[in-house]
Amino acid sequence: MSLTFLAPLFLLGILAVAVPVIVHLVNRERRNAVAFPSLMFLRRVPFRSVRRQRIRHWLLFAMRTLALILLAAAFARPFLDRGDRNATAAGAGPRELVVLLDRSYSMGYGDRWTRATAAAERALAGLSGADRATLVLFDDEAVAAAGPTGDAAILRAALQKARPGASATRYAPALSVAQQLVERAERPRREIVVISDFQRAGWDGQELPRLPGGTSLSAEDVGDTAVANVLVTGVDVTRDARDGVDRAIVAARLARSGPRPVDDARVILELNGREVEAKRVSLPARGATSVTFASVPVPDATTRGSVRLSTSASDDRLATDNIFHFVLARAQVVSVLIIESPNTPAARSVFLPRALGIGDRPTFRVVQRRSDRVTPADVDEARVVILQGVGMPGGAVGDRIRTLVRDGGGLVVALGEQNGGRALAGASEMLPGTIGEIVDRSTERGGSLGALDRGHPALETFRGARSGDFTSARYLRYRAFTPAANDAILARFDDGTVALAERRVGRGRVLVFGSTLDGYWNDLPVQPVFLPLVQSLVRHAAGWTPERPWETVGQVLALSSPAATSRTPSIAVSPSGERTRWSAGDSVRSLRLREQGFYEIRDADAVTARRIVAVNVDAAESELGAFAPDELVRAVSPGSDAPLSASTTSTLSAAEREQRQTLWWYILVAAILLLAAESIPSNRLSRTARQDAALAVGRIDHA
Amino acid sequence: MHIGRARDETAGTMFIDPKVLAKIDNLELLARTVVEGFINGLHRSPNLGASMDFAEHRAYMPGDDLRRIDWRLFGRSDRYFVKEFEADTNTNLLILLDISASMGFASGAVSKLQYAKFLASCLAYFSSRQRDRVGLVTFADAIVDYVPPAAKHLNIVLQTIARATPQGQGSLDAPLNQVAEHARRRQIVVLISDLYDEPERIVRAVARLRNRGNDLIVLHVLDPAELDLPFDDAANFEDMETGEAIPVVPGLLRDQYRTLVADHTATLARLMREERIDYALFNTSQPLDHALFAYLADRQRLSRTR
Repeated sequence: MSLTFLAPLFLLGILAVAVPVIVHLVNRERRNAVAFPSLMFLRRVPFRSVRRQRIRHWLLFAMRTLALILLAAAFARPFLDRGDRNATAAGAGPRELVVLLDRSYSMGYGDRWTRATAAAERALAGLSGADRATLVLFDDEAVAAAGPTGDAAILRAALQKARPGASATRYAPALSVAQQLVERAERPRREIVVISDFQRAGWDGQELPRLPGGTSLSAEDVGDTAVANVLVTGVDVTRDARDGVDRAIVAARLARSGPRPVDDARVILELNGREVEAKRVSLPARGATSVTFASVPVPDATTRGSVRLSTSASDDRLATDNIFHFVLARAQVVSVLIIESPNTPAARSVFLPRALGIGDRPTFRVVQRRSDRVTPADVDEARVVILQGVGMPGGAVGDRIRTLVRDGGGLVVALGEQNGGRALAGASEMLPGTIGEIVDRSTERGGSLGALDRGHPALETFRGARSGDFTSARYLRYRAFTPAANDAILARFDDGTVALAERRVGRGRVLVFGSTLDGYWNDLPVQPVFLPLVQSLVRHAAGWTPERPWETVGQVLALSSPAATSRTPSIAVSPSGERTRWSAGDSVRSLRLREQGFYEIRDADAVTARRIVAVNVDAAESELGAFAPDELVRAVSPGSDAPLSASTTSTLSAAEREQRQTLWWYILVAAILLLAAESIPSNRLSRTARQDAALAVGRIDHA
Repeated sequence: MHIGRARDETAGTMFIDPKVLAKIDNLELLARTVVEGFINGLHRSPNLGASMDFAEHRAYMPGDDLRRIDWRLFGRSDRYFVKEFEADTNTNLLILLDISASMGFASGAVSKLQYAKFLASCLAYFSSRQRDRVGLVTFADAIVDYVPPAAKHLNIVLQTIARATPQGQGSLDAPLNQVAEHARRRQIVVLISDLYDEPERIVRAVARLRNRGNDLIVLHVLDPAELDLPFDDAANFEDMETGEAIPVVPGLLRDQYRTLVADHTATLARLMREERIDYALFNTSQPLDHALFAYLADRQRLSRTR
């Protein structure tokens, strides 16, 4: 049992004891000069060597000194560190040791990893007898690499196999694993050793799992005091499709953290592993810059692109973030089949194809067919079918449309003169509601759209404020229809009639618009909002999502979206060659990205990749600023924010901690009582001093 | 003005606390307060009945002595007038007031100089009432102010006393020598000082005046702190005249100091007596009128035996 202080710095207050003593001894003579009429008689008294600089009122001095010491001690928050009642940290008995070893990519900085493994070796070296240990490797997730076991050889083997990965640091998962391990532990002494560089990015101050009472947590900081780094933080790819050639302009963003600028950085653009262009750039100290490469034609196949940074700066000791990968793919195409009435004049059938022909994210390939000439092959080619004022085609075409929708395609129905409830009877099970009669508002100069659900994905384009003026279009006629309970209503006319509704059918979507899209019943096609509205509806109906040119390590990639993928067995190959397989029946296919580089996703029996995914490290991990391990120790300590030592810290329960810290109250009360008692002799002496003062009438300068 | 009075040990007599006197700025008023008080206490002044010259007439008032009615004038005017006489001024009183820096010391409300001023004022007033000529010499190591004795110099004397402030180092030799040389006629000389010098040197200095036929009175004024050294804290004691400082632990020196002071005053008293010089020690904590009363009564008693 030992006395420990929570705020030992307050003990410096004890030095205040010296102040009155020094003042007393140094200034006493000067301040106590007494004017006296004549020294005639005093001089005649035989001189005696008297130590005048001495303390005369010892009782008073002792009381005051003791009071000061008690006050300082009280504020230092003393508590009795009795070790643990369960014979934990300092006690006897076998240990349950959990070594949390950070393997995030920042641990590859300089010789951090070497120091970290050495620290882990040291921690494991203490194992003896009935001790058990678990080696947990963590980055953004935590995995028990070995243990719990008492076999040090197994643990050392796992340690030797461990390498820094490409993931970012997250402390919460590691501490959760440690918490579970120590809670399950049967050994009386429970110890956790955290070996990390304690990156600030790894913990945003949020709640961490609290360790059970009696657990000893020690932190081994292998971070560096001064760090510097050069990295590629990102890439911007701009597509340029002018002159009919798809080109890409790549611009890389570079950053420098460190006190010195870098003048000779070499930045290389690689496509499919070949160097395309190299540039030299200068990076200011603690600054950033960007470099733009010349435009390059985008090949038909998906292209792997990388921006690689090399520098002779000796302090760039983290190589992982010097490369940035991305994918250049041909523009995505969504095929749209527009089926319209044979009687539709040419002047009215131009609006939809024109509006869709302008888009490039994605590009729409539009096929326009009259209802009497549409073939099943046309439907097979399409991703989205638009019924522009016509009923549901019968026969094979109708079947193909239904199949398309069930498999994830889209159907957009624009209601008009000829596609009442009867005309659409063949699609009634797919339509979001029952089609009603025509509402004619031509006598009142037409109606307008009254309300839009701008939060719906189909209208996400218009989510921003003042985005899309739908009120300018006048609707002379539209059809009333009544959606079912499960159908989503996206828009209503100003009289409350549903204008746009959606129903999910299988994996596909069916959208019904209450009026025409060819300008017959309204002037919507000539309004500015027409183009984005149509594109947005078709994108949504097609289930289109933009392909990202790169992903980040730690993300989970969802591969189950396209209908085709679930019908065939497929395989994902990581940059290191690790394979993940999905069988034909796996409907949910996801892949956690753990490595930096290019993942290939292909059909099991195919040679070429169906999809290539570029994966980069999390740039936040390149921010090498660290926090004090003490903060982490405090955060996991149960029920207290009291500062604890980071090196060897015993975590106690809140009740235990509170109980052990109450000592300072008693000390404070004792100090107050002592000060009160001190006032008695002090007042007595003050009276004497006043009498002395009266004897010298102002000439005695009181000390 | 209400004047507070402190009851002294002397039974049946009220005396004025020096602290109260210190609040009276007007020295004449102060002197009158003190002198009238102790004259009333004496009942009979030892100097009453001196020969007188006619000064003026004034109307008779009940209680006046019938023997002093001018009957001739009554015969001419049919009114009673009393003859007023001027006292004979056949004696000079010269007050020698020490105003050296050490006289400025005070451990209470009244400094030695203030007390000495009270004494001087009272004596001047008292003598003036007896029609003596009053003069004043203030001095430190040399004469600072000199007011020659004259019957109408009371106000000047009082003003000069009031103006005096502590200054310079004290020494009796030069000033007293100078006074002795310039005194042409016999007079009563009152020396008021704290007498910080060797007793032999003091007596030698005042003896010169005595040898010129003057009646010499030495009033030794000391502060109670000078007599008892009541300080507790060790401190540097600084000489008020020379500025010299020495470290002193009063508790250790007190007894020897008191012995030395007592020896000093006893030696002075003895040597003065041998030289037929009146000597009296005044403690500034004692009521002034009591001290004066005691001294004058003593002096009267002694004069009868001389």
